Amino acid sequence: MGQVHVPLTTAFRALGIPVVPPPPTSKRTLSLGAKHSPESICLPFKLTLGNLIECLEQGADTLIMPTGANLCRFGYYARVQEQILTDLGFKFQMVRTDLFGSKILGVARLIKQLAGDAPLLQVIAAIRFGLAKLALLDELEREVQRVRARELEKGAATAAFKEAISAVEAAPDPVSLKEAFRTYSERLRAIPGDAASAPLLVGIMGEFYVVLEPFSNMEVEIELGKLGVEVRRSLFVSHWTKFSLFLNAFGITEKERLHRAARPYLSRDVGGDGWESVGEKVLHAAHYDGLVHLAPFTCMPEIIAQNIMPAVNTDIPVLTIVCDEQMGRAGLATRLEAFVDLLRRRRSRGRALAPSGASHS
Amino acid sequence: MDIYLGIDVGSVTTKLAALDREANLVASLYIRTQGKPVLMVQAGLKDMAQRLPPDSRIAGVGTTGSARYLAGVITGADVVKNEITAHAVAALHYVPQVQTVMEIGGQDSKIIILREGVAVDFAMNTVCAAGTGSFLDQQASRLGIKIEDFGPTALKSHTPVRIAGRCTVFAESDMVHKQQMGHGLEDILYGLCEAMVRNYINNIGMGKEILPPVVFQGGVAFNQGIVRAFEKELGTKLIIPPHHELMGAIGAALLAQEEMEDAHKATKFKGLGVSESLYETTSFDCKACANICEIATIKADGQVLARWGGRCDMWERAAEKKREGAPT
Repeated sequence: MGQVHVPLTTAFRALGIPVVPPPPTSKRTLSLGAKHSPESICLPFKLTLGNLIECLEQGADTLIMPTGANLCRFGYYARVQEQILTDLGFKFQMVRTDLFGSKILGVARLIKQLAGDAPLLQVIAAIRFGLAKLALLDELEREVQRVRARELEKGAATAAFKEAISAVEAAPDPVSLKEAFRTYSERLRAIPGDAASAPLLVGIMGEFYVVLEPFSNMEVEIELGKLGVEVRRSLFVSHWTKFSLFLNAFGITEKERLHRAARPYLSRDVGGDGWESVGEKVLHAAHYDGLVHLAPFTCMPEIIAQNIMPAVNTDIPVLTIVCDEQMGRAGLATRLEAFVDLLRRRRSRGRALAPSGASHS
Repeated sequence: MDIYLGIDVGSVTTKLAALDREANLVASLYIRTQGKPVLMVQAGLKDMAQRLPPDSRIAGVGTTGSARYLAGVITGADVVKNEITAHAVAALHYVPQVQTVMEIGGQDSKIIILREGVAVDFAMNTVCAAGTGSFLDQQASRLGIKIEDFGPTALKSHTPVRIAGRCTVFAESDMVHKQQMGHGLEDILYGLCEAMVRNYINNIGMGKEILPPVVFQGGVAFNQGIVRAFEKELGTKLIIPPHHELMGAIGAALLAQEEMEDAHKATKFKGLGVSESLYETTSFDCKACANICEIATIKADGQVLARWGGRCDMWERAAEKKREGAPT
């Protein structure tokens, strides 16, 4: 999912645990996953099952899947996938880990368990190095989102980011990691762009997996970038690890900010990220031109959010995109184009009506 | 006389509309796409050449519809726009105060919400084609009536039956069931109209504030049964513009005019003689990565015009380079 494999492979490798890097999620991953999944299960289940199969094909003997109570169907992915893979005749050990309940200590314990008798300090250093990579990648990605909307040669930022991921992943120590980060942030900043343009700002929100895995949402961020739109999202893997694994202990979370905002419309958790999605609409109406809401087909929490959002009394258009293996690229392109046209015309009218001298760039 | 040409190549029908500078409809064409968009655009242009006044000069071309890129490449369009924008622009032209546009075409249906002349929200059917023109077509032929007679027959109904309209498969079995029970044809047809309208309001119109004036356009607006069912459900009269089935093409022509007059550019239109060229479309699987995208190639007289269909733009760029390098 997204770049999440980078910190994990880094941490494991630092401890001498051999890692099978999953092949990038592709149509083959999806076909494998969909073939062996229950038909109406959500897309993230199918894609992660496909990832697991591809890892097993490459010789992995241990699989790690997060699990936990009080989530959504995600909470039982690990159990069901273990059963399906066993039925398919694969031999492996499934490590189910409740990251959400046990936080960072759980991760440390898990890695220590896999690393045999590595000293705790070494385990902590490995995790920190992995997380440092993740944080820098996310920072680069935020820059990519900005550059993409302005670049004169379309595709330049995406190409640079692809190289950056490999470079960051390959960095053996903190010094070369910093070096790689500096190289690529400079390269991104050097991409010639239209300085005068004030691109539309569109927030991407919705279910965690389909927001963060570009394959699952048909690279909606790149498509919007091609249309000259700057994308923002509050979900980044590094934020999530920070908030979910560490800061929860102190009770200061981005999530709570979203929950507070959503409360007049939805007063409780509905599983998954449904509560947060409603909160996003309340919180971001003022500073975004529009919101793209991503939901896996049959995702109950997001269906609830989608049905509550029209009642949220803020003036911001929301385009809900339902992601599954039947999604057509042409249909998505039409909707995105129409959405961007709509936002552009809205903004130009807003500008025309605003008192002279007032600008909101 | 300067003419702006709009071409709307949809899943089921292809529409052409020629407007003059004052946006009067000078000539139009409405033909079935028959799954052959390239041939139909060529045939359409050929036919159009006969219909246009002799002193016509094409000053701009816009394309829309699901084959808008294909049509844009072969005609040399100045504007290639999605259907939502095209329909909104056309509706605003005929009814400047419009607040809601409902459009039902062959395989999609949409709603556009406008306020003070600007589209502020829209929705399209996402995961299901129930309640579109193709389904009505199919049911009419199954019941042995012409699609033109569907509306007038449905209007004769006094006690419409309730049909399950959520999904075409269930709607069809429910209709068969009602027939076997002995209900009359007109009651079943009007029942289907009501089911389609319910489905539209609940799915496409979910959470949208449908305020009058409501403009209803697209091929399905021909169907009087659907129109009446909508008016009953919404409690307001629908405005059906004079050329409701051409609205996409008219919108594309208006957008072309806007673009050309703003930019003072010469049109890229290749001329009505496009119909003489030999077009060829082929496809292949790209093996550059594990995604194995299906790439379509469009050739004119043996030369590559465009390639598309990949997750990345490798082939699109290759085709562009080839075109730039080719002698003209």
